Amino acid sequence: MIRGIEDRNILDKFAENFCEIVEKHVKYIVVSGFVAISHGRSRATEDIDMIIERMSFNDFEKMHNELTRKGFICMQSSKIEDVYDYLDKGDSIRYVEREDMLPPEMEVKFVKDEIDKLQIKERKKFIFTGLDIWFSSIEMNVAFKEELLKSDKDMEDAKHLRIIYKEEISEKQIEHIKRMIIELRLKK
Amino acid sequence: MRDKTHLEQIERWANFVKNNPREKWKPRLNEIINAQYEIARRFYNNLEKTEKGRIILKRLMAERLNKK
Repeated sequence: MIRGIEDRNILDKFAENFCEIVEKHVKYIVVSGFVAISHGRSRATEDIDMIIERMSFNDFEKMHNELTRKGFICMQSSKIEDVYDYLDKGDSIRYVEREDMLPPEMEVKFVKDEIDKLQIKERKKFIFTGLDIWFSSIEMNVAFKEELLKSDKDMEDAKHLRIIYKEEISEKQIEHIKRMIIELRLKK
Repeated sequence: MRDKTHLEQIERWANFVKNNPREKWKPRLNEIINAQYEIARRFYNNLEKTEKGRIILKRLMAERLNKK
């Protein structure tokens, strides 16, 4: 990574510390707004979005307990059965580092379909971000922003990523993902 | 595609801001927002350090100039 320890700000520390713990238990990806910001988009996001592979209750309990031991607090409940229930039903859970609930905040959810599984399978680290974090691929981010999310902000993010990765980006892959989005997310 | 916990969080945060003095939440919020801009700026600094990065940087600058 192109970065010295002294460069780590509050958000770097929060994100990398959280990701380091999660990676010990399950594969994850960071998606959406934080990908754009890490690639130089001058905008803010309210939280960091993470998708993790589906886990059994027992495996999740181990991860949750380690997160808790290391200072992360789940905002949904202090009861682990309730927390797991959120994930299992397809909702997200949120972790902060402080009792007063002030940000930053990590939003975590289970993979929900084949697209999410593919996102995790093709996850990447991006050296220019200076972050030791697994992200969803650029093709995934572009496809989601252009086909599903579609707000002005998302379209600008997609354009920005397309400019950066002009030589590397696979249009064929983007089209393939867009077709999956239509089949699995938009037709339902 | 936001789920119910996102809306719950917006409500929770709005109540926190409403029920607590500005001094309690504003510095922290500033720190978080500044950190996001620092991360974005670091990306450009890292681009400047390699040949490939400088090519990308030129492309981004050209796009920005085209917008104006």
